[in-house]
Amino acid sequence: MSSIAIIRSQVECRIPGALTIYQRSAPEVFPTGIQAIDCGIGGIPKGALTQICAPVGITSGRTSLLLSLLAQVTGKEQFCALVDATDCFDPESAGVMGVCLSRVLWVRCIQHGMKGVEQAFKAADILIQNGGFGLIAIDLGNVDEKLVRKIPLTTWFRFARVMEALPTALVILLPYSAAQSCAELTLNLGASAQWSGTETVSHTRLISRVEFNAEVGRTRTKKPVQSASINFTVRPQWA
Amino acid sequence: MFGCIHVPDFAVQAALLRESKILPVALLDGPESLLKVVACNASARSAGVFIGMTKPQAEICGVRLIKRVQKHEDAAQAELMDGAYNFSPRIEVTSPGTIIIDLTGSERLLGTGKTIAQLILGEVTKRGFESNIAIAGNPDTAHYAARGFKGITVIGPGDEAQSLSKLPVEVLGVEPEVLDVLHAWGIRDFKSLAALPPIELTERLGQYGLHLQRLARGAVMRELVPAALPATFQESTELEEPIELLEPLAFGLNRLLEQLMQCLVEKSLATDHIEIELTLEVHSDRDVNAPACSSTLSTHQRTVKLPVPTQDAKVLLKLAQLDLAAHPPHAPVKKIKIQAIPARIRFTQTGLFQPLAPEPAKLEITMARIRAVVGETDSQKRNLVGFPALLDSHRPDHFQVVPPSPKPGNSVEPSTRLALRRFRPVIPARVEVNAEQAPVWIGFSRRKARVTCSSGPWRGGGQWWDAAGEWLREEWDINLTLDGHTALYRIFRDLATRKWFVEGMYD
Repeated sequence: MSSIAIIRSQVECRIPGALTIYQRSAPEVFPTGIQAIDCGIGGIPKGALTQICAPVGITSGRTSLLLSLLAQVTGKEQFCALVDATDCFDPESAGVMGVCLSRVLWVRCIQHGMKGVEQAFKAADILIQNGGFGLIAIDLGNVDEKLVRKIPLTTWFRFARVMEALPTALVILLPYSAAQSCAELTLNLGASAQWSGTETVSHTRLISRVEFNAEVGRTRTKKPVQSASINFTVRPQWA
Repeated sequence: MFGCIHVPDFAVQAALLRESKILPVALLDGPESLLKVVACNASARSAGVFIGMTKPQAEICGVRLIKRVQKHEDAAQAELMDGAYNFSPRIEVTSPGTIIIDLTGSERLLGTGKTIAQLILGEVTKRGFESNIAIAGNPDTAHYAARGFKGITVIGPGDEAQSLSKLPVEVLGVEPEVLDVLHAWGIRDFKSLAALPPIELTERLGQYGLHLQRLARGAVMRELVPAALPATFQESTELEEPIELLEPLAFGLNRLLEQLMQCLVEKSLATDHIEIELTLEVHSDRDVNAPACSSTLSTHQRTVKLPVPTQDAKVLLKLAQLDLAAHPPHAPVKKIKIQAIPARIRFTQTGLFQPLAPEPAKLEITMARIRAVVGETDSQKRNLVGFPALLDSHRPDHFQVVPPSPKPGNSVEPSTRLALRRFRPVIPARVEVNAEQAPVWIGFSRRKARVTCSSGPWRGGGQWWDAAGEWLREEWDINLTLDGHTALYRIFRDLATRKWFVEGMYD
């Protein structure tokens, strides 16, 4: 018997399991309903913080992704909460995408600036305390990046720690990756649109489809060697 | 098993509630010039008083005469019903002073028929009534036994006909004409009525006669007609000193809510709606012209509603506290009155594999706490916290935010589509158009960009019959390039004002 094996056996004799590699169980996930994302990353993890990032004012697919996720979660008869920091949720789009609106608690923060962000975080705190939701989403997608930078890192850390003990997914729409390492999953989104019809006649033209690309910035389940990119296409309601 | 409480001479007992009932008493009613005896107790009857006697005649008999007050009888009836509700939530008020109680399934909880009868008698006596109690297998047997026999009567199954046989037919309470016929036939008691041949009885008195015979045999089984529940439950208290702060007020609210919930629990009820009325003592000393130390009373009313009925006083107290914190009374509180609208308790079967859902009462508190943070309504009076509901309208962004519904609806099959991200309120824009009136440049929110692609105009309008609500507009979908990124926006021109606005962004 080699000396290492002797030492190992002596240690394990006194402290069982001391040298056993701990296998971390794969987290439970909610499918997003977008096949490319579900195949790429599995879904949105429960009991963790997920951030979906895209610059303010551009088409990126974050709202379509969030509504698709809400449709999946409410489709499983679970309740969701949406904290809308800039009051931009469109119930009509959500209804078309199959979101069961009577299972979505919508908190509308109509105050502008930092006041609205503060209200959103206070409301999110209360919702997390209450429990019973499958998904809690905080939409800071229209909040100016300068204001998001004022949110202390301890806030994200606190949310991440609280969520660990809950069977709830916390999804935050942000203009940039503010939660950093507190997030279990970070998705950076971007888009390009395709139009159909004649260029010269405006009323014959329509948005035919929009191609989004999601870059996995951070994930704890599958560590990418380099940033993985996922492409998916979404059609408008009329196409 | 059914029990019956019968209070003999109920009108007199109601007038003498918590007083001695041994003295001869007669109740008078009618116009002041022609008062007549409408009820009297056994002692008064012994003294020669009978119903229909005039006041001067009754005075000669030397009995105490009291004017009948309907309010006293109603209060006594409510008291009696309260006592009956202690034994079962299913009771029938057969007549004033007579209550039938459905005791099905109470044996395991309360004991044998005799024990239950003793408990009921004790409860009714404690409330100041002298009564007869009967227990039987059907409501009518219990009813006639209580009317006909003094004290406690327990009739076992199969003994109904035998037990009721000695009762006089007057106990049936039939019309005088039918009673005259029965007397003419020499029928004086239940036994002789029960012994009549059914076919011949039906030939002479019809189905009604047969029904009377079955009643006399104790063979009629029927459903109880449930007593109407009180429309509201109310508790109030007047404070010795007016309260200015909400925290001490909560102690008073808590006591009243606990009393209310106690009343509701006794009747197997809950509430989903409470109304709080605070009487405020408004001092006019702020007004320099008003005389010193003068004060007036005003009221401050608040309503707390729940999506599901509850019996938990703590939940209601928390909601009331949050509501009063958001809408505090403007003067010290002198009197508190709380009214609860009763509702049936909703039972739900829980299961191990049921999906995650917030507890309804807890959710209501959570929503109230969030409302305290974000506010209650927006400029269009739509709630800021709640569940979105689409309205049946073509008007853009037309929705309601409603409280949670006990039965969430179903949705369409999930399918990913391009979502719109709305701007509320819409952002005013400066738009340059070409010869075809299509937008080519747009400026909004301190940004200016060239429109690389556009789709429109898509004209929409509605509510033309209402000048205030009419809307007419032209929508355009535009493609911009902002900092090298694609941006798809929906803009529109209000045709009434000819102004451009950015409605939202496709995202």
